[in-house]
Amino acid sequence: MRGSAQPVAIKLRVNGVAHVVSVDPQVPLLYVLRNDLSLNGPKYGCGLGQCGACTVLLDGRAVRSCCLKTGSVGERSVLTLEGLGTRAIPHALQAAFIAEQAGQCGYCINGMIMTALPLLLRNPGVDAAGIAAALRHNLCRCGAHVEIVRAIARAATGAANWLHV
Amino acid sequence: MSEPAKLDGTALMALPDSLLVYRPAPAGTAGIEPFVLLEESGRVYGFNGHVDLGTGVRTALAQIVAEELDVTLDRVTMILGDTARTPDQGPTIASETIQTSAVPLRAAAAQARGHLLAIAALRLGVGADSGRLTVEDGVICSGGDGRRLAYGELVRGRRERLILDVATPVKAPASYRLVGTSVPRVDLPAKVTGELIYVHDVRLPGMLHGRVVRPPYAGIDTGEFVGTSLIRVDRDSVAHLRSIVQVVSIGDFVGIVAEREEDAAAAVSALRVEWKAVPSLGSLDDLATALRANPSQPRRLQDKGDVERAFASAPTKMARTYLWPYQMHASIGPSCAVADWSDSAVRIWSGTQNPHLLRSDLALLLDIPPVRVDVIRMEASGCYGRNCADDVAADAALLSRAVGRPVRVQLTREQEHLWEPKGAAQLMEVKGALDEGGGAVSYDFHTRYPSNGARALALLLTGKVQPTPEVWQMGDRTSVSPYDLPNMRVTVHDMPPIVRASWLRGVSALPNTFAHESWIDEAAAMAGVDPVEYRLRYLHDSRGVAVIEATAERSGWKTHTVPGSLGGEGDVRCGKGFAYALYVHSKFPGSGAAWAAWVADVTVNVRTGAVNVRKVTVGHDAGLVINPDGLRHQIHGNVIQSTSRALKEQVRFEPTGVAVAEWGGYPIMGFPEVPEIEVVLVPRPQEPPRGVGESASVPSAAAIANAIYDATGVRFREPPFTPEKILAGLQAAGGGAAAALPAQGRTHKSFWAWLLALGAGATALLLAMRPWRAAIPPIPRPNPSVYSAATIERGRTLAALGDCAVCHTTPGGERNAGGRRFETPFGTVYSTNITPDVQTGIGGWSYPAFARAMRAGVGRDGRYLYPVFPYTDFSKASDADLQALYAYLMSVRPVHAAPRPNQLAFPFSLRPLMAVWNLLFHRPGEFHDDPRRSNEWNRGAYLVESLGHCAACHSPRNFLGAEEAGSRYLAGGRVDGWDAPALNGTGPGPLPWTAQEFYDYLREGRSLRHGAAGGPMAAVVQELRLVPESDIRAMAAYLASFAASAESPGRAAPLASQGAQGIAASAGARLYEGACAVCHDAPAEADRPDTVPLAVSSTVHAARPDNFILTVLDGFDSAHTDSEVMPPFRSSLSNTQLAELAAYSRGRFAPEAAPWKNLKKAAARLRLVPSVERTTP
Repeated sequence: MRGSAQPVAIKLRVNGVAHVVSVDPQVPLLYVLRNDLSLNGPKYGCGLGQCGACTVLLDGRAVRSCCLKTGSVGERSVLTLEGLGTRAIPHALQAAFIAEQAGQCGYCINGMIMTALPLLLRNPGVDAAGIAAALRHNLCRCGAHVEIVRAIARAATGAANWLHV
Repeated sequence: MSEPAKLDGTALMALPDSLLVYRPAPAGTAGIEPFVLLEESGRVYGFNGHVDLGTGVRTALAQIVAEELDVTLDRVTMILGDTARTPDQGPTIASETIQTSAVPLRAAAAQARGHLLAIAALRLGVGADSGRLTVEDGVICSGGDGRRLAYGELVRGRRERLILDVATPVKAPASYRLVGTSVPRVDLPAKVTGELIYVHDVRLPGMLHGRVVRPPYAGIDTGEFVGTSLIRVDRDSVAHLRSIVQVVSIGDFVGIVAEREEDAAAAVSALRVEWKAVPSLGSLDDLATALRANPSQPRRLQDKGDVERAFASAPTKMARTYLWPYQMHASIGPSCAVADWSDSAVRIWSGTQNPHLLRSDLALLLDIPPVRVDVIRMEASGCYGRNCADDVAADAALLSRAVGRPVRVQLTREQEHLWEPKGAAQLMEVKGALDEGGGAVSYDFHTRYPSNGARALALLLTGKVQPTPEVWQMGDRTSVSPYDLPNMRVTVHDMPPIVRASWLRGVSALPNTFAHESWIDEAAAMAGVDPVEYRLRYLHDSRGVAVIEATAERSGWKTHTVPGSLGGEGDVRCGKGFAYALYVHSKFPGSGAAWAAWVADVTVNVRTGAVNVRKVTVGHDAGLVINPDGLRHQIHGNVIQSTSRALKEQVRFEPTGVAVAEWGGYPIMGFPEVPEIEVVLVPRPQEPPRGVGESASVPSAAAIANAIYDATGVRFREPPFTPEKILAGLQAAGGGAAAALPAQGRTHKSFWAWLLALGAGATALLLAMRPWRAAIPPIPRPNPSVYSAATIERGRTLAALGDCAVCHTTPGGERNAGGRRFETPFGTVYSTNITPDVQTGIGGWSYPAFARAMRAGVGRDGRYLYPVFPYTDFSKASDADLQALYAYLMSVRPVHAAPRPNQLAFPFSLRPLMAVWNLLFHRPGEFHDDPRRSNEWNRGAYLVESLGHCAACHSPRNFLGAEEAGSRYLAGGRVDGWDAPALNGTGPGPLPWTAQEFYDYLREGRSLRHGAAGGPMAAVVQELRLVPESDIRAMAAYLASFAASAESPGRAAPLASQGAQGIAASAGARLYEGACAVCHDAPAEADRPDTVPLAVSSTVHAARPDNFILTVLDGFDSAHTDSEVMPPFRSSLSNTQLAELAAYSRGRFAPEAAPWKNLKKAAARLRLVPSVERTTP
């Protein structure tokens, strides 16, 4: 990775809030989200785009923020796990993860939810095999796969009620 | 009010208005050990020395406290592992948290309740034992009169302190209301919303970011070289990183501290560290031999009957060897810690599995007493044993001490993979025998388990602890087979570590059970008895029998005595396999956790070798279950993780150590492979709880191996059961089908070597001539105002077209100030300063001097220029264009930068010789339009052939470095270690280059039908951004006109030929799947507009693997992409892995092309090619 040789002011729109950060545009968005905006949802897992723990949505598309240069975000809006819901008022997908107890250590959960969300938006009728295929490159080591697929399927079942949100 | 989660034992003792159950700390340590605290608010805190590794045990512990105290679950907060405030109950191992470490916690809660009842009875004037008092959610009610007293009221104004009495009577399970019911985990709502603070998320005021640089002996922690291999650290090599605070080195410990995390991260690769050569570890390819050769001490654990005599006299002897590979914990999050050192004390935020052990290690490392180490245990990525959490805590402590500020250290993925203490390999050798009736009569079991006591790495790297091998007695877990035979002997061969290892889920019990359960299955087959029935003959543990029977029944087990009874279809065979274990852990003879049995349903594809575990039926007897859902999820996790280990996982080694540093090289099971899991719980609520964290893993590998046998009739005794291993096994047994990889050919002698020889030979002739050119007098720097803005602007465009700045700028240096290094076959040449500085640049050059340089290759001073500067192309430029270019160059800011002297081999160092070269190879003259062609074509031809100088890279050069012409024009060349593909229509790739494709490539930096501009071409595309649309179109039209007339090999190859399944069973295929497929195989709906399909990529179709390997090494980072960039894999993939990945990709995506050869050698060579750094525009 390149260091912060040339910091410049970069405008970012994250979870609906406008920010200006002073960083080298080459710095991965993950670092900026975590260190400059104190967002803990996206996690560093591999830095190689392999595991999915750092996934965020960029204009609704799931991207691995460890491999996305901050300078290339541009006008697009960034959504992190925190932008979905809170413990008090979780998003329907988060609520489904709680209902199905989908998570053990939870380190991968950000990636699971942020990958599942655009999947459900694209294909609300997705079945378990479709969910598994979509999460093929999201790694979980605790073995919470069964509950994660159930949670996403549960959210899909009720998707008609929340997709418009 | 003070937050109890932040108070130490002494402060907890001093809390007013509270009740505390505690015990005095063990002798030699300060303070007290709290267990249960009740506050006036009615809030309850439970304290436990074991931690939650992601299993959900925090919730189960809270249930236990809430149950005994008769409060609702939401009143209870568990505090786990903090050294300042939790009892030292040892490391969180052996599934002991509920079974063992919760015992005093439960007693403390019961004791608190009893005490509160006693106080209430006094207040209410009733007998405490009268049965008139009941408790409901922390409110004591008097049955007779309805008076109520809340717990909180009872401690108001009081400081109730009770010394723990572990003999306190606890509730009878029959009266449980909360324990035994499924309650949602207390941690998940915060985890799914990003609100939970993991150790990775801890931020302190003034906190700095640290990274470490690990030594080259990856994953090795014994041997004299450990801690003694560092030669020097070049601190200047990271001086360019803006926020570096300090580089710290102590022994072999090297760390970097920076204000910004990206600077610390960049420093890991930028810091130049010189290490001594690492002694060869020897080959671990043959693990069995390595384990036998490792010096060991036999330890006899069981000796019943006479195994020797029984074996000698038995008619059927079954000697079998089983081998377990090194495996990884493979936590998804690389370990992280934050340390805050001040006043000779340190506070550590850590995800450690062993907070109290870590405290001792840190005290030793930092030369302070343990009481001055405060470990705060934070949630972390699941660890399943001991990963690098302790190591990184020690790293952070050293760095914080060095800089005197809080430091957060994050290990990289590569460091976690390479350095995590591995789950040890294990060799199990059985000499067993059957009698005439097929009865098992003898079982002589030997197990070899290299030790796993990895110390915190910093202790070894700094020399605080000597890296001498220590022998731990850890191979004995579940070493006694559960099957009771008349003659049995168990010998554990205790041995020092081979590579750095620690306990991993199931420790030695999992491999030992793999052997026991495989052997008994083999014996059953030999005896012609159903495998379940055969086991039950020899198992005398009634709870075990019950688990086996329940599991077999639920799985639909059908009695069978020969394999193949489940049949199959086509290439696919079906099989069912059984295995059972009571996980016996801790020091021999140890104690049992939960009972578990597996029935694995598999299919085996006998053509590809692929094993699919379709379903696992898993039985469990865990005694009293605290949280049934929690147990079910633990079982799911165990099944998935252990199936992954059995099918896929094996650490690979090179002679210098561990050689897997990312997920492609160490794949773990993903969603599509997860089996259906059916859990069978044998209810025993009256029995004490048994540990469930590991038990369900233990029968896994044997059940799968036995199922593969049932499907194929072939035994597999060495996990992981990868497709190639299955294929090899089937072939050895006379079945299956596989294709051998083609043999590797020999390399050719270097082209450049004979070129150099020829060059030297020509020297004599050249020396005979003495050409010289006159200097053109210098002028004062021209005033750019004499040129019109339009001219200067045109010149700027031409400079961009000619990529002047690409060659005349060093990475990170002043634009056009020269100094960029060019390695040529004749020596090293540095580009010159072309800013208008009079002394060091071209400020003193008149236009005629400039034009002469561009056209004739002669400098203002009369010296010949070298044709690295492509004046042979520039000579075709029109006078008007050269004037505009001159105007532009004179208009920019002069930079004073003297050119670096070239380092050319004799005789090439003699510039006058270039006159001869020019005579031979330089054909000056202006470009002339071809009247038969369109204006656009002619414009394109002019730009390409003159200032665009495409041929400088894309034409081959002859033995004296001259661009070749005619049919060799644009036929492909070399630049900076990269292949510059042919542009004359003969280039690689199955699809033709149309004008549109060339346009996309030159304008956007990529063509979706060929590839993206990488290597040195990236900077060219960057420059071309200034060039007008019409000129890019013109160049595209000209270049495409070659393709129309050319015939390219393989051009007609159908794209559908990608995805050949025959080569799927390889390490290269797994690397591709883990490291590349996420982007390159992304489904269309994933919307990755910038990813070029590899099936059309010219890089994959090129004759040489160079561009492919260079791209993998350094990644792909285009200014034109607004999507993810391809990360560099330089530090994550070994040369072996690069070769495997290249071979696989070539075979899959360019099946019509000849396989690349000598790939490992190519990878080693290309690793030395300097990374291309884009010149910042």
